[in-house]
Amino acid sequence: MDYSRYGEDGVRVLFGNTIDLETNREIRKFYLFLKSLHRQDIIDIIPSFKSCLIHFNNRLTSYDDFIAFLKQKTENISSVQIPEPKSHEIPVHYGGEYGPDMEFVCSYSGLNEEEVIEIHSSIVYTVFAVGFIPGFPYMGTLDRRIYAPRLETPRLKVPEGSVGLAQLQTGIYSFESPAGWRIIGKTNVQLFDATKKPYSLLQMGDLVRFVPI
Amino acid sequence: MIEIINSAWFTLVVDGGRNGYADVGVPGSAALDQFAYNLLNFLVGNENGAPVLEVMGNEFTVKVNCETTCAITGAQVTAYVDDKQITPWVSFAARTGSTIRVKQVLEGFRYYVGFSGLMNVDRVIDSYSTNLECRFGGFRGRPLIKGDRIGLKEPKVVGERFVPEEVIPAMEQPHVLRVLEGPEFHYFTSEAINRLFEKKDHSWYIVSTKSNRTGIRLEGKPLIFRKEMDKSITSEGILPGTIQVPGDGLPIFMLNERTIGGYARIGMVAKADQDRLAHLKPKDKVFFQLIGIDEAERLWRQKIELFYRTLPQ
Repeated sequence: MDYSRYGEDGVRVLFGNTIDLETNREIRKFYLFLKSLHRQDIIDIIPSFKSCLIHFNNRLTSYDDFIAFLKQKTENISSVQIPEPKSHEIPVHYGGEYGPDMEFVCSYSGLNEEEVIEIHSSIVYTVFAVGFIPGFPYMGTLDRRIYAPRLETPRLKVPEGSVGLAQLQTGIYSFESPAGWRIIGKTNVQLFDATKKPYSLLQMGDLVRFVPI
Repeated sequence: MIEIINSAWFTLVVDGGRNGYADVGVPGSAALDQFAYNLLNFLVGNENGAPVLEVMGNEFTVKVNCETTCAITGAQVTAYVDDKQITPWVSFAARTGSTIRVKQVLEGFRYYVGFSGLMNVDRVIDSYSTNLECRFGGFRGRPLIKGDRIGLKEPKVVGERFVPEEVIPAMEQPHVLRVLEGPEFHYFTSEAINRLFEKKDHSWYIVSTKSNRTGIRLEGKPLIFRKEMDKSITSEGILPGTIQVPGDGLPIFMLNERTIGGYARIGMVAKADQDRLAHLKPKDKVFFQLIGIDEAERLWRQKIELFYRTLPQ
């Protein structure tokens, strides 16, 4: 773990330089452990692929004191038990009006639509991070055969529930939003409910399988 | 109750922000000028964290249907209660039926209008702030429009309070923003970095009209990436005030609506200067000044002291 400072009130904890499940599992453990402490001086924790960004309250603690606490607390983190991730099945309407980029993904990969659907829905994905917009899951790892680059010019709007892919990731637009990923389908599952804790259906580490409908 | 007669260009319910759920992508959506926001609640005698209105544009007009103390902070404006001109950063009493009108913004961009008593708006995930993209919080998750009515719980008239003139922040452009190095500072050539912080005529940027509450885009000379560096990063957490540089080399100030970003983070606006971001309007000139962490912390302590000096002991 490599600690560095992110502005006056941020700590960036870097766990590695590659995107892989092992690194992400370590980050998840660190993040859940830290969260379980319910510290007043922690405003937010943002876990992602390679790092955990901690926003601390610099009115309550200093960077030096906070780092000292982090190092001491996480010394024996390997023995910490964390809950198992949940598994989810997400039904998806692939292609047609729901997947404006299906044609592009087919031509880019040289596969036909059935093959793209078969490949996309045959993998159990891991949620590496949730963010960008509330409830948006960054999931991996996509099969290389359906790799597709991001749009050069992002769309100004895609509908809520749009399922997209970019490079070796796949994700679901939890709200209508601007989007740079290739959209291949749409789900009706509500990913974020601001009226009910824990608000986001998918949490970091959860497992997701897409089911074609 | 208050009733919006003219919502100016854009009016939004905001508060101190929504914290604790950035891990599932919930952004802060806080008032962009926290200094002006916090002092506004002090002026009208509300508790910390009460909702207020964040307004952009001229001719904001609101009718007050009760006796309450009001105030305006943030951008420099000319304002009236009925026919009487009022001074921003000083509280004033409004009678039942009074109309408060902000005629013109003179300097800065966003101003804040507050009332004694609690506005009856939606508190969602521990905050009154509006999340525009997800349409929750504040007034039904949307900007205010003409005819909207908001109830005021326990409005009251409190004694006059004011913010001393020397405490009111300057907002004139060019804006000089002090910044700290970000995690991808080294992604850029030393020529690009040197030019960025030179503070000469060729090193300023102009605020783009494509800016919004998510990010402020800048126009000017593109920053050059070192040849060996990728033009994007693996998506990672960001905090308000992060300066991202996409492949086109033009910096973007990220405000309070994103938790994760995928572009190189060249730097972060020092906390002491983050409120200033609320006042960058399209076509304004912006300069960057690189500072170290010790200087940033000193400036922040200074700002906090200034804030508390204003409050009654």
